[in-house]
Amino acid sequence: MTAETIYLDYAASTPVDAEVLDRMREVAESAYANPSSTHAAGRLTHALIAEAAEQVAGLLNVDPRTLVWTSGATESDNLAISGAARYRAHRGRHLVTMRTEHKAVTDVFDMLRGQGFDVTWVEPGTDGVLDPAVFEAALRDDTQFASIMYVNNETGVIQDIEALGAICRERNVLFHVDAAQAVGKLPIDLGRLPVDLMSLTGHKFYGPKGVGALYIVDRPDCHVEPILYGGGQQRRIRPGTLPTDLIAGLGKAAEVAAGRIEADLAHLRGLRDVLWNGVRDIDGILLNGSADGFPGILNVSVADIEGESLLLALEPVCVATGSACNSKSQEPSYVLRALGRTDLEAQSAIRFSTGRPTTPAEVEVAVTKYRDAVERLRAMAPGKAA
Amino acid sequence: MSGDPYSPAVRELFAAPAHAGDVDDGETAFVDDQGVRLQLSARVAGAEIAEMRFRAWGCPHLIAAAEWLCGYYEGRPLSALEDFPRAPIMENLAVPTEKTGRILVLEDTVRLLGQKFGDGS
Repeated sequence: MTAETIYLDYAASTPVDAEVLDRMREVAESAYANPSSTHAAGRLTHALIAEAAEQVAGLLNVDPRTLVWTSGATESDNLAISGAARYRAHRGRHLVTMRTEHKAVTDVFDMLRGQGFDVTWVEPGTDGVLDPAVFEAALRDDTQFASIMYVNNETGVIQDIEALGAICRERNVLFHVDAAQAVGKLPIDLGRLPVDLMSLTGHKFYGPKGVGALYIVDRPDCHVEPILYGGGQQRRIRPGTLPTDLIAGLGKAAEVAAGRIEADLAHLRGLRDVLWNGVRDIDGILLNGSADGFPGILNVSVADIEGESLLLALEPVCVATGSACNSKSQEPSYVLRALGRTDLEAQSAIRFSTGRPTTPAEVEVAVTKYRDAVERLRAMAPGKAA
Repeated sequence: MSGDPYSPAVRELFAAPAHAGDVDDGETAFVDDQGVRLQLSARVAGAEIAEMRFRAWGCPHLIAAAEWLCGYYEGRPLSALEDFPRAPIMENLAVPTEKTGRILVLEDTVRLLGQKFGDGS
């Protein structure tokens, strides 16, 4: 990244925290033995992983034995959805999820549909929020599993996980939450929340890329079939040699986050106010999502502006046109289309996402660049009928 | 792997399009197709294109190509509008194949502009 770059794409990935980096380097240099080995060096590595599990468990208020290490949220989502659906298939084959989920979720449901499962896609309101009554109405007697994300990666919309989870508990439906954008950013108490499975990833909260975890509630009727085979690690749920330095980094990131979530949120709320107040009076501006969503994400569209040109005109401000996974696609965001945006409105959407290192001055520059870009592109455009 | 989707030429032309705007006392052609809108206007002096301007609603490649095209045609004979410089545009701006449709809109607009001058002569 160059000196003049203004990075406002923290929902795509965050920098590794300095304490996390120090911890990873220390562990990589000293604890290289295979944690499955029973010799002294292996036991040391095993202890470091156990320590990381304590740190992540502390962030979520769960027993560390309920955590399974993965390569990130995509794998956690795959393991949770595919694994739990197959585990409970003998009871029923109906599954429920939402239109605005991440591709790591929707693609798994599409795959399961091809394997004979019946999937109901519930629709959120135009503000992106799922009405619990709509969700409950989608459940059937043969529903065994549901998956709803905590914080939407494109819009920052926060779902009422407590209400949705309570419905699932009452109906004996396993409830998975993709919390990739929430863990380490919002206070989450799984000792209180009725959630059975939760996916998380390190690089969304200042930890390393390539490591994540899946929380699986300790209850006999909640289990997942593995999606990988080849060893007995992690109770055969997820085999493979564990990357000790990455896991230690994830643990440290969780510990750091636990101590500063409220301070981070206050910082992000201040930045969001600067951003939104700086652009809200632009003619034709549209806020995509709920006004009280996660404050680190602001997604806006603007009428009659071409999105790709807007993105280039904003440089050196680094933002996203949708989710990072979709940003090279010319297709309008399916998430924004589900919120009722037209193709053109969705196509002009820009996601600003701020983080711990973001300064008010950077956000002010982004506001100025955005206003200038919209004005310049509008001035350059022809009328709709010359 | 992700690389820069824009060549240096596209970046330069997009950042400072000297030919954005309209021409007074000339002919204007407008095409709305393939999800983009393009307008070209030109004024001739004698048999030569004295001035050409564009307006565009589209991607950076379209805007850069329109800017390049205006500079290309200025000073050339009016008959040059019959020969659209597709190959130089694709090559000089490194236009990816998936954007070929946008360049075809540019070509259609040039052809329409040529017809307008032909109708008026």
